[in-house]
Amino acid sequence: MIDTKPRTRETQFVSTREVSLWGRMLQGDTWLIILFLLPTLAFLIFLLWLPFLQGIWMSFHNWPFIGKPKWVGLQNYRDFIMASYFWTTIRATLIYSLSTVFQLGIALIAALALNQKFIPLKGIWWGIMLMPYAMPPVVTGAIWMYLLDPNLGMVTHYLIKLGILSEPVYWASDPTWAKWVITLVVSWTFWPFMFLIILSALQSIPESYYELAEVYGANLWQRFRTVTWPHIRGAVLAAFIIRIVWNLEKIDQPFQLTGGGPGYETSVLSVLTYRFAFLSGDFGMAFTVGLFLIAFMVILMIPFLRRFQTLVTQAGKKG
Amino acid sequence: MAYVTDRSSFVHKTLAYAGLILVLSIILIPYSYIALTAFKAPGEVFEVEWFPQEWSLEAWRYTFKTVEFQKYIFNSFIAGLGAAILSLFIAVPGAYIFGRKQFRGKEIFFYIITVALLFPYVLLIVPITITWIRIGLYDTLPGLWIAYQIFIIPFALWILRGFFAELPPSLEECAMVYGCTQFQAFYRVMLPLARPVIVSLLFMTFLIGWSDFLFSNMLTTGEGPRTASVILYVTAVGGERVEWEVLMVMTLMAGIPPVLLYILAQKQLMKTFAVRRR
Repeated sequence: MIDTKPRTRETQFVSTREVSLWGRMLQGDTWLIILFLLPTLAFLIFLLWLPFLQGIWMSFHNWPFIGKPKWVGLQNYRDFIMASYFWTTIRATLIYSLSTVFQLGIALIAALALNQKFIPLKGIWWGIMLMPYAMPPVVTGAIWMYLLDPNLGMVTHYLIKLGILSEPVYWASDPTWAKWVITLVVSWTFWPFMFLIILSALQSIPESYYELAEVYGANLWQRFRTVTWPHIRGAVLAAFIIRIVWNLEKIDQPFQLTGGGPGYETSVLSVLTYRFAFLSGDFGMAFTVGLFLIAFMVILMIPFLRRFQTLVTQAGKKG
Repeated sequence: MAYVTDRSSFVHKTLAYAGLILVLSIILIPYSYIALTAFKAPGEVFEVEWFPQEWSLEAWRYTFKTVEFQKYIFNSFIAGLGAAILSLFIAVPGAYIFGRKQFRGKEIFFYIITVALLFPYVLLIVPITITWIRIGLYDTLPGLWIAYQIFIIPFALWILRGFFAELPPSLEECAMVYGCTQFQAFYRVMLPLARPVIVSLLFMTFLIGWSDFLFSNMLTTGEGPRTASVILYVTAVGGERVEWEVLMVMTLMAGIPPVLLYILAQKQLMKTFAVRRR
């Protein structure tokens, strides 16, 4: 195990004592690596992959919360695909995934605004912008439940006053409105994650690039196109991909605002998983739906992952 | 030239301020209305009025005395704290090895962790609940601490590994020249250097535990260590009539501590997040 590679200058006047120290170090290394990796390894095995495999096993069963599971083969899968609510769920999940786009919009506006030198009191604005993200989602969900209440909520009140609505919308029992309400509430809650990532990408752009662009007479839009965007698009894409997955598994607020209803109209795949597990206690079916959620996420992510790959290869060629 | 710059900078400023005000207002309008509602008397919430006609602490009294919401806030606190501390014992050693050591299979190993970061955790409630019932972790605080690691560890490994990898490569060797063992080099040199990152991580992982609803609701029952999130959900959805002013007091009690923590840790957090781009 003795290292035979050429040494750097400091280690060139090697004494025999030092070689053996190097040998001991390597030994110590292996021991340390194994010991230190154990907790992580245990985590990956016992909290992630074994439960996941166990879940797949469970999806072949009729598995009640308490009681004896019964092998049913692929029946759960068949039942779900044939279910009357299958396409309702898929459509709801598609609309729900638009929250990622809304989040990107707000995050870009906020990050670009806060990155300007002339804006004072940046720390305070930063703190306020993080508030929706810092609070537990159930808290912000409760807040919107109140604000959007058809009878006494502030939003309905002002929309009617401004003449935008003629009468209160009972969104919780309206299939279309319910979907948009959960999508917008999730967008409002989780956009600061993208904001943080975009802002730090913006802050890494050297000021001199902008000065140079200005010397060449580039206007605001041109500066954004030629300097800002090329620098942040990698970060934007990475954040976007992460958020596609993370948004689709956010169940707190839909579960609280609509409970997946009316009917199955807002039962996005993750909410449906939770409904089966928590409300019906049908664990086999719950995991089956979960597997469909993974498939949905992967399909949705592929074009963005491709794009990310080309960006990374381009950057690799340049650098 | 100066003329051009000036004119564009006027548009520039207008746009930036408009964006700032737009974003701030979609946050501040809801929050200020909520904060005022918490001080309204019962029955007053039925009209949309910004300021309470009469400032009342009735909702607060009810929340503390009848609901005893502080008990659940305390549960959330312990749930978050325990999860944060436990996560350090798993993530710090692992991230240190990934950031600084070479070993066979490292790439594959790391790939598995990255996939874990994108794992839809909602799936795991199913097997975890069954297992927790079987091994007696159901309805216990340690059960929650361990379950929260599923969200925490991939994220913590990702942040910490980046930090360790960026430290100068010869640090451990230097420490060992001065007579440290491998372990001492980690314990005496690397850990103190990582303290700022560890602190901001502790704080973020604490908030994950504090905020969680997914596992807290699934893995506890009425008698067990229910957290504030669960009670908030039950209050908002469970009853036939929602007492909004009480609910708004609860949102403030569960929502303000994390915001205060964010503000306290702001400088540290901005640094931790700002490093790892590109």
